[in-house]
Amino acid sequence: MKTDVQLPAATDLKKPRPKKAPELPILERRNWLIHLHYIRKDYETCKAIIKEQLHETQGMCEYAVYVQALIMRLEGKIQQSLELFQSCAILNPKSSDNLKQVARSLFLLGKHKAAIEVYNEAARLNQKDWEISHNLGVCYIYTKDFRSAEEQLNLALQLNKHDLTYMMLGKIHLLQGDTEKAIDVYKSAVEYVSIHNLTFKHTCFILYTMLLGKYQKAFEHLGNALTYDPNNFKAILAAGSMMQTHGDYDVAMNKYRVAAYSVPESPPLWNNIGMCFFGKKKYVAAISCLKRANYLSPFDWKILYNLGLVHLTMQQYASAFHFLSAAINLRPRMSELYMLLAVALTNLDDADNARRSYEQAVQLDESNLLVNLNFAVFLYNQGDKKAALLQFQEMERKVNTQVDSNINTEFDPELVEMAQKLGAALQAGENLYWSKPGKDSKSSQRSSSSKPSSSQQPLGTNQALGQAMSSAAGYSKSMQITAGAEP
Amino acid sequence: MSSVSQELKDTSVASSKWLDAHYDPVANLYTFSSCIALSDLHGDGENKLVAGDLGTGVCNMKLKVYHGTGLLSESTLLDLPTGMVSFLMDLHEPRTPAIAVASGPFIYVYKNLRPYFKFTLPSLEVNPLEQDVWSQAKEDMIDPMTLKEMLEGLRDKAEIPLSVRSLRFLMLEPQEMEDFVLLHKEQPIRRQTVITCIGTLKKNMADEDAVSCLVIGTENGDVYILDPEAFTILYKMSLPSTPNLMDVTGQFDVEFRITVACRNGNIYILRRDSPKPKYCIELSSHPVGLVRMGKNVVVGCSHETLHGYTQKGKKLWTAYLPAPVTTMALMDLPTRGFQAVLVGLANCEVHMYRDKNLVSTIKTPDVVTSICFGRYGREDGTLIMTTKGGGLIVKILKRTAVFEDRDSAPGPPIAQSIRLNVPKKTKLYVDQTLRERENAVAMHRAFQMDLSRLRLAAARAYVKALESSLTPMSASLTEPLKMNAVVQGLGPSFKLTLNIQNTAACRPVMNLAISFLYDENLYSMRTAFFKIPLLVPGLNYPIDTFVECLSDKGISDIIKVFVLREGKSAPLLTAHINMPVSEGLALN
Repeated sequence: MKTDVQLPAATDLKKPRPKKAPELPILERRNWLIHLHYIRKDYETCKAIIKEQLHETQGMCEYAVYVQALIMRLEGKIQQSLELFQSCAILNPKSSDNLKQVARSLFLLGKHKAAIEVYNEAARLNQKDWEISHNLGVCYIYTKDFRSAEEQLNLALQLNKHDLTYMMLGKIHLLQGDTEKAIDVYKSAVEYVSIHNLTFKHTCFILYTMLLGKYQKAFEHLGNALTYDPNNFKAILAAGSMMQTHGDYDVAMNKYRVAAYSVPESPPLWNNIGMCFFGKKKYVAAISCLKRANYLSPFDWKILYNLGLVHLTMQQYASAFHFLSAAINLRPRMSELYMLLAVALTNLDDADNARRSYEQAVQLDESNLLVNLNFAVFLYNQGDKKAALLQFQEMERKVNTQVDSNINTEFDPELVEMAQKLGAALQAGENLYWSKPGKDSKSSQRSSSSKPSSSQQPLGTNQALGQAMSSAAGYSKSMQITAGAEP
Repeated sequence: MSSVSQELKDTSVASSKWLDAHYDPVANLYTFSSCIALSDLHGDGENKLVAGDLGTGVCNMKLKVYHGTGLLSESTLLDLPTGMVSFLMDLHEPRTPAIAVASGPFIYVYKNLRPYFKFTLPSLEVNPLEQDVWSQAKEDMIDPMTLKEMLEGLRDKAEIPLSVRSLRFLMLEPQEMEDFVLLHKEQPIRRQTVITCIGTLKKNMADEDAVSCLVIGTENGDVYILDPEAFTILYKMSLPSTPNLMDVTGQFDVEFRITVACRNGNIYILRRDSPKPKYCIELSSHPVGLVRMGKNVVVGCSHETLHGYTQKGKKLWTAYLPAPVTTMALMDLPTRGFQAVLVGLANCEVHMYRDKNLVSTIKTPDVVTSICFGRYGREDGTLIMTTKGGGLIVKILKRTAVFEDRDSAPGPPIAQSIRLNVPKKTKLYVDQTLRERENAVAMHRAFQMDLSRLRLAAARAYVKALESSLTPMSASLTEPLKMNAVVQGLGPSFKLTLNIQNTAACRPVMNLAISFLYDENLYSMRTAFFKIPLLVPGLNYPIDTFVECLSDKGISDIIKVFVLREGKSAPLLTAHINMPVSEGLALN
């Protein structure tokens, strides 16, 4: 260290004077002043005082070296700060603080294994330190040793129930794909963390409920979280997309305005704003916003999907085709994309490719009724009644499994209407769930969220297209929720 | 966002709340909240401002007394003042308070601004082994080298740290040791600590003018309570870390509570009858300011937050600040029953908080480093601030000023009403949209057609390149080669360097030759054909040759390079080198 080799301090100069020994300055005499400037973030003054102090004590003042190292780390000089912390550890080998900082610097340098060693050494000096256990856990996560990480984090939780530890522990379980354990962690986090850390508590609760699939509850808590911190970007995005799912576009837009002020260049935000405009039938604005989102994040397939959808609505089939094929290139295994592409191709008079695209969609699809219905309508319009009937029956099968397993008993009224029409045309569909009396009225009550159906039209692709869109909008929104709420 | 308009409103209101009594931007005061106090030093009913000035931080430390707008007196301090309090130490009439200045291990007590008493902190326990070693050295039983070894052994193991003398000794070069031992060995070893904060505690009465004890915190984590008259230690408590801020309430003889913010980021609450902390608050960042308001403790943290805690360490609220905290002080107006916390921020503002609600903002010309509110002169509501640049600001609270206690988070954030910046679309865009609607099919077909043509053209060009080995990479599996060419020189003679590399994993390539094809009227080459040595995989082989330009008309041509395999007429690789114009000839 440079300061070590500086000239002897004033005290030593007085040496020739006989007998009377000079009073040696107390090493710690200016520690308070260093600390005072450090916590006030007045780093320049702080560094000047440290320099002075190290000069006076010939680099022996442990605290001065310690703070200098802290400041250097803040300035990004991690390697230098590591060396200083190591010299602190030599000056005072009994302090676990010094070792903790050495380990922290190693961690920041990405030397996780070395950091683990030093933390273990520090843990030997100070058994009951929450920070050591927690950081050890984090280091283990980086070295992919999840078992040890879990162990250390649980140890940390025994010492002190800190929010960070809960978050990390939950993350480990999610990384390992163990959703149930993650739910347990978030649940206990909700119970134990002091009621004053509301934002954290809400985050935990939201994650917990989302994992359980209780979106309504999660939404309530999002609302609560927003009352405490109305500018929280993540919460706004999550709450906004939930509102959008329920068709509450104006309220969602209000929320997005706040978010757009603080984070004006967020692709998911502009995507959601775009879909809000879409929901409000302001298509040009929707396209503008989506294009901005696409500009900000050109490889996000969700944005491309939505762009394709909006262009389909605008009857700009050629543009829609490009956006959709771009989306398919980025995400080649999603049936809805192929279905929309097929719709675009149908309108571009390319029946062969449309059929191929539908076939691909049906092949990839598992539970979406629209794929089969749209395909059936397409086949019917092409005059291939036999194949249309096959698709229709496939749809019936899906409906019945969904009803049987109680996943979904309410269907979009527009879809129902379309299916009934097609069923009549094909002379099939009498055994469908919604054709049974009594249920029909129930399902049609829930039309608030979907777009009011346009005027009666003869059986044509336009009608089916509308179907595809509303569902796709809903789909992309629900995808957005998960994206927005991730911590 | 939300604060913008709010601020504007607040400053306009705040300016009417305070009278600017005095502002001296060059008062040359370097001090902190812990080092300023308002006190009736002469017992004449007029409060003076006493400030411990840190001078340059190294020298020129002063104890300054201000009265009105002028400096009343100034006396030199020997060392940096850590803290300063004014307190009544006896019941003698007239009741003039004393000033206690803590610096280093001492407290200097001034009465009537004259030095009165100096208190020294008790020495710390010295390691008996260290003592032994030094006494042996004193009797010359061991030489300096042995002494050094023994002390080093002690430093690494001992529970009690070594004294400054031993530490300094260990730093010395061998030739200096002898002198150092001779010089110091006669002195007893002492281990001294320093004071880090100071406060006062009423002895046995709660009155305003009751006798007070001094409470001091030290670097090694002890808290002492001193008798006001004899300056003996009445009580000693210890903390796990070094205290840096302190708040004391209660009476020593009855019940008291000392709230101490420590360097390890924790706040400890000490009470009578327990030498260890009773409660502990763990903060997430360092405490910068600590103020007690009634029964609650308000802490400003370095992470730009302000927290409220009960006196038992339970968290009540958190407020977020726009900038780092520099200092904090209590604003107490007992006549009006008004209390608030003043928070100095690094963005040149002072915020006034009542609980978590921001009630007022004061703009200052510089960053405020210390705040003191109280009676100055004969004016009760005076706010004294010193700035980073050494300025002194005195403001007086208007008697008509009213602070509204409103909730700081009313309704939705203001950003909600700001219009979204949605990009506008032009008329042209709309026209194009309409055109697309009408001609979507034709557009799509045209596009697909052109796309197919483009692909076809690209494929053709590629095949052609492959067939004629025009690529700089060889396509054959047996001779995977790579070549690039560099031309150097201004002309008329050029140096041509061909870099050839065998990209195969492990197989060498043999029996290759290079030939050049060029216009013989324009260029001449010494050897237009030569063999290439065996190419080891992965290595780069630079092959040089020289080209002479024959023309002086300033024209240039292409030289074609072929890499050939013996016995095969089709080249493996072809490179076309665009020769530069010969500048050398043009000059002639």
